[in-house]
Amino acid sequence: MTDAASPLLSVRNLTVTFGSGAHSVSAVAGISFEIAEGETLGLVGESGCGKSTTGKALMKIVAPSSGTIELDGVDITRLRGRALRNARTRMQMIFQDPISSLNPRRRVRDIVAEPLDAWKSATGSARETIVRTLLNEVGIDPDVYGARYPREFSGGQCQRISIARSLAMRPKLLICDEVVSALDVSVQAQILNLLEDLKAEYGLTLLFIAHDLAVVKNVSDRVAVMYLGKICEIGPSDVLYEAPAHPYTKFLLGAALEADPDVTVRGEVLQGEPPSPLDPPSGCRFRTRCPFATDLCASDEPALREVAPGHHVACHFPLTTLGSSPSPSPILG
Amino acid sequence: MSTQLLVVDDLHTTFRTAAGLVAAVGGVSFDLATNETVGIVGESGSGKTVLARTIMGLQPRSNVEVRGSVLLDGHQVVGASEREMRERWATDVSMVFQDPMTSLNPVMRIGRQIDETLRVRLGMDKRAARARAIELLAMVGMPSAEHRYRAYPTQLSGGMRQRVVIATALACSPKLLIADEPTTGLDVTIQAQILNLLDDLKEQLHMSVILITHDLGVVATRTSRIIVMYAGRIVEMGATRDVFFRHRMPYTRALLESSPKVSNPSHTRLRVIPGRPPNLSTLTSGCAFAPRCSSASERCHQERPSLEPAEEPGHVFACWHPLAATELHEAPR
Ligand SMILES: Nc1ncnc2c1ncn2[C@@H]1O[C@H](COP(=O)(O)OP(=O)(O)OP(=O)(O)O)[C@@H](O)[C@H]1O
Ligand SMILES: Nc1ncnc2c1ncn2[C@@H]1O[C@H](COP(=O)(O)OP(=O)(O)O)[C@@H](O)[C@H]1O
Ligand code: SF4
Ligand code: SF4
Ligand SMILES: [Mg+2]
Ligand SMILES: [Mg+2]
Repeated sequence: MTDAASPLLSVRNLTVTFGSGAHSVSAVAGISFEIAEGETLGLVGESGCGKSTTGKALMKIVAPSSGTIELDGVDITRLRGRALRNARTRMQMIFQDPISSLNPRRRVRDIVAEPLDAWKSATGSARETIVRTLLNEVGIDPDVYGARYPREFSGGQCQRISIARSLAMRPKLLICDEVVSALDVSVQAQILNLLEDLKAEYGLTLLFIAHDLAVVKNVSDRVAVMYLGKICEIGPSDVLYEAPAHPYTKFLLGAALEADPDVTVRGEVLQGEPPSPLDPPSGCRFRTRCPFATDLCASDEPALREVAPGHHVACHFPLTTLGSSPSPSPILG
Repeated sequence: MSTQLLVVDDLHTTFRTAAGLVAAVGGVSFDLATNETVGIVGESGSGKTVLARTIMGLQPRSNVEVRGSVLLDGHQVVGASEREMRERWATDVSMVFQDPMTSLNPVMRIGRQIDETLRVRLGMDKRAARARAIELLAMVGMPSAEHRYRAYPTQLSGGMRQRVVIATALACSPKLLIADEPTTGLDVTIQAQILNLLDDLKEQLHMSVILITHDLGVVATRTSRIIVMYAGRIVEMGATRDVFFRHRMPYTRALLESSPKVSNPSHTRLRVIPGRPPNLSTLTSGCAFAPRCSSASERCHQERPSLEPAEEPGHVFACWHPLAATELHEAPR
């Protein structure tokens, strides 16, 4: 899937830098990935590693500092005016906090119609038909609830309304940023199933950002792991979860809590917190917390390279498939 | 029963609100042994926090009625005055809340916040309190504790703040620690660090712990018993393995099945619990789960099942049509 002839989305060397001079932070520090049409790519990593910034840069909510973002073969970072506006309708983003992302003073049916109104793409009865269809699609009865305000809805229902709104322009790519993190398990399951259904029905491609590793595993075809603004590993989700090749991925998975009392292997827990992105470590950014770090790791930044078909790792000493010890000989660039 | 630190008997907490009486805790009974960790799970609104605050003697008196008995280390909490409870907080029982900022003063240095507890409650002098506070910060894994002693809460990450809250809660070595969603919203690695820390401190300080969560992964391997709450009542309780593998109550099964698991393949369809938890001000006489239960019969809607013993010692459940008492080979997905 990764190496499909023409992916829907292709990101090359994307950087997003906030601020300037000594206070500049490269929240996204040169990442590359592709998403094939119809695929779900999960994006995981600790708080502050740059997941949301990546999503926002794709949407051009924040300005990329460098790099290219190709959607269907067209570099949208170079588009201006009308062409950019058109490209933007083909991507939509949904956020974590379902309640605050809805305008409290608008009725639900007008919230769902916001993109249609903004892009002036449908009016009158066509607009109404689209809104009704979308609300029905996400399980909210437009006759009963269409005229109500967001405050009358639960978190899960607000998230359904956000999803309906995001589909109004018939996007191809949906960026979901922690969309179920604030929800109860039972509601979370409803929303995850809804996303799967809509994905099939609308032919959507998903970038699914979340810090819950079980949730990501359940929805993703492939998973990318980020650390301090870089992608350190990317690959098919079952391979990556079974046999992580990057030490950071292994620690991250070791910390995941499985809802099963027999899974008692307390993975070795990564100590401390990620270093400040203001002053990232030289070489490999993970080296200050990595038990396998050597001098090479401090001097040379490991490039992302393929260790198995579709499985890429940025580490001088990737873990063997047994997942226990680093491979004996460094892969040098 | 002399080893029981906590004995809760037929506890009711009822709020008088504009919309009528809200029975947030509706007759809860359980015991907790010294040095035991029990988990309380349930959807949001099931009464977990209200139960915890009632055990703490923390409920405001104005619009709340508390009935029943909470014997903590042989002393009654129900009906105790706030002054009596102040004497017991920190030394007998402490609570850690989900949002660390609810227990931290944003404009006071963290060291002073811990100092104050030590000076007021243990009568330590300034220097001794300072030394002990730094010791406590080091104990909860605060890097450069001496330096961080002077930090303000806003200068710390969420995980660090929760460590400060834990240090404060444990300052006077309480016999019981109630942790209400202590890691919800934290990163997986930080979550694992905090849960391991609580585990280790529990052994070190010989405490009993009540661990409240809606995430079954949090309690699967860290508790000896689990209490499942629904609509303000206990619907199933037993040894952790029995609740996971030999549960008899359909709601317990539903909760387990709606949790995503790391071991699930991609695109696993999760079981969803239809509908939403009931409104606690309009509870009827039947089983509160009946409107969402696929096994519900006429009787379920009319009569409330009481807790009955299962085969295993200490395992009880409330259901007219319990699931078969066969061991599942793995936690359901
Ligand atoms: N507008 C901004 N100005 C300056 N720095 C920013 C801005 N937005 C984000 N950052 C910084 O960029 C880094 C990445 O932030 P981002 O929100 O992308 O993280 P994240 O991976 O989504 O984290 P979380 O899991 O907490 O949502 C952080 O160090 C953050 O402080
Ligand atoms: N101060 C209060 N006044 C009225 N109702 C309350 C109050 N505090 C909690 N409740 C109600 O009690 C029920 C249980 O709440 P809570 O214990 O916070 O649930 P949980 O912690 O399980 O999510 C909810 O219906 C909630 O709205
Ligand atoms: S490159 Fe070196 S420091 Fe970085 S993850 Fe690999 S072994 Fe660890
Ligand atoms: S008592 Fe009836 S409604 Fe309640 S859980 Fe059992 S079968 Fe379902
Ligand atoms: Mg984010
Ligand atoms: Mg709560």
